[in-house]
Amino acid sequence: MEDQIVRITSRLVVPFIQVYGIYIILHGHLSPGGGFSGGAIFGASLVLIALSFNLEAGVKQISHDTSSILESGGALGFVITGLVAIALGGNYLANKAVGFPMGQAGELFSAGSIMLITVFLGFKVASTIVTLFYNIIEGEDKGGDAH
Amino acid sequence: MEDILFILIAAIFALRYLLRLQARGVFTALLVGLIGFFFSFTVAEMPPFGNPANPVFNEIPTRFMEMGTLETGAVNIVSSVIIDYRAFDTLGEATVLFVAIAAVVATLKSH
Repeated sequence: MEDQIVRITSRLVVPFIQVYGIYIILHGHLSPGGGFSGGAIFGASLVLIALSFNLEAGVKQISHDTSSILESGGALGFVITGLVAIALGGNYLANKAVGFPMGQAGELFSAGSIMLITVFLGFKVASTIVTLFYNIIEGEDKGGDAH
Repeated sequence: MEDILFILIAAIFALRYLLRLQARGVFTALLVGLIGFFFSFTVAEMPPFGNPANPVFNEIPTRFMEMGTLETGAVNIVSSVIIDYRAFDTLGEATVLFVAIAAVVATLKSH
């Protein structure tokens, strides 16, 4: 299924979707959005590549190993951010009480660990969507051969 | 003679199946209607939306709205709640995602 219109349109649109997803993730503490929604937008752009070209083009964008490293790294980063708060002498996942740099409220680099955790969550959700999509598509292919 | 007997038995079995199906459908409709009635009853008993006398408007949302930006540095109050005040809950959500994707990979990769 090779459609010229779909391929050219998605090639034009995908960079804007990805920039928008990164914007949503980075501005999670300033505007509506955050790690979950921004990661879903970013993952949807990678799914769009695999849908409009083919699976190999999608896997070339983000390989299985990169995806699983991002997946585990996002969860680990979240946990480690919480452990850093303990190491600094506070409760698990404490933010201002243990002295994460707060900055000026309303600036991009502010809100201490909130921004860090949002970025980790964004990585994690994006790679979750991509991994889920690839695995279901490839499972279907292999199942079709086997049965 | 045997043919007629066979058709008769088959017809009885088909009729019994149809009747049982119908009885099951009536039972399902009754059950769904009962559950729907209790749900509608509960919704009708709920306090009106946005009323300041509602029980959800206690000191907790007030604290979040007044002190949220001061205590967490985030302008977005939803973000300050889910990633600072309730960050442990969000960690659980991330764990749910992780377990879900691990289950999918474990199931589909075994083909």
